Amino acid sequence: MSARVGRDRVWEVFRQETEGDPFVHAGNVRAPDEELATHYAREFFGRRQESHRLWIVDRAAIVELRDPDLLKPPFDRSFKRPGGYVIRHKLEAAKARATAGGQQREPAAEDAPR
Amino acid sequence: MTMGTRPPDTLPREAVAELLLDLADDEFVIGFWDSEWTGIAPMLEEDVATSSISQDEIGHARALYEMLASLTGDDADRIAFGREPEDYRHAALLNHPRTDWAFTVARRYLYETADAVRLEALARSSYEPLARLVAKMRREERYHLMHLDAWLTRLAEGGADARGRLAAALEHLWADAQAVFTPPGHEAALLEAGVLPEPMAALRRRWAGEVGERVQSLGLPPLDPTVGAPTDGRTRRTDGFRWLHGEFTMVARSDPGATW
Repeated sequence: MSARVGRDRVWEVFRQETEGDPFVHAGNVRAPDEELATHYAREFFGRRQESHRLWIVDRAAIVELRDPDLLKPPFDRSFKRPGGYVIRHKLEAAKARATAGGQQREPAAEDAPR
Repeated sequence: MTMGTRPPDTLPREAVAELLLDLADDEFVIGFWDSEWTGIAPMLEEDVATSSISQDEIGHARALYEMLASLTGDDADRIAFGREPEDYRHAALLNHPRTDWAFTVARRYLYETADAVRLEALARSSYEPLARLVAKMRREERYHLMHLDAWLTRLAEGGADARGRLAAALEHLWADAQAVFTPPGHEAALLEAGVLPEPMAALRRRWAGEVGERVQSLGLPPLDPTVGAPTDGRTRRTDGFRWLHGEFTMVARSDPGATW
């Protein structure tokens, strides 16, 4: 098979465990074409009935972005994170109200950042 | 394990038992032969696929042996592992050692296509436990056929070496492959009871026609469609099979009657 190995491609496999779940990267298989890639993905990531659906993607079709200037720019980015809004005191107040009101739930959801 | 459904009194028990043994031994023996590729298949991915498919076949054999055991009051493990080589009833096609990859693909192709024709008929069996089990088996066999046809195509359309080996193996195995359709001893009784919906000879002709077309479409040398099923197709045993029998009974023989 050594002649064949050079023509093999790598296929990245994503699996969905049950309907509605997000697809999660499961691993990859090596195969010369789509048909065998499908069979091997099924054997590696589906033979124990652990997958509801598989996506099999030719690695060459994946667009990769790993430029640190774009992904990890040097300036302070904290204002783009929800952590930039301090809500600890609001949560504590909500908990206190909940405790005071017994089992009643407080409609404090509108305080949380979107 | 018991099958839940008690067979009707009119059921030709002995005839059904023979049929089940033929089916079970076929799946059992091909499963063991092809599991011999574990660790040495052409590539890692194929190694896992072949091993997994072989396990599927042994799983089918187990279900069939259990059905047989419940019918005859025997024990499935004893039937599977407790017989002498001469008492196995698999088709002569499955006597051959695995040989090289092209030979394995050729043998599997002939077996899987024959099995598909046979299972299509048995899904219509009047013996309901068998019809139900066959319906389940066919869902797995569908994938086995897809996987196998992918390899058949690749070897046929590969280089001269691959193509030559495949063609030679198909020709070499063709006569013994007919034995998958060697009629069971009491075929007339099975047909009358509807356990076997069609005679094996009719199934064999259908299969030979399908294989002939596929072989032609791949431009491989034609296989003679007039070769019939040999009468000793399920009783002939070889040294190759005796070796395999020694392998697959080794653990059971080391501690007879052990449970695990």
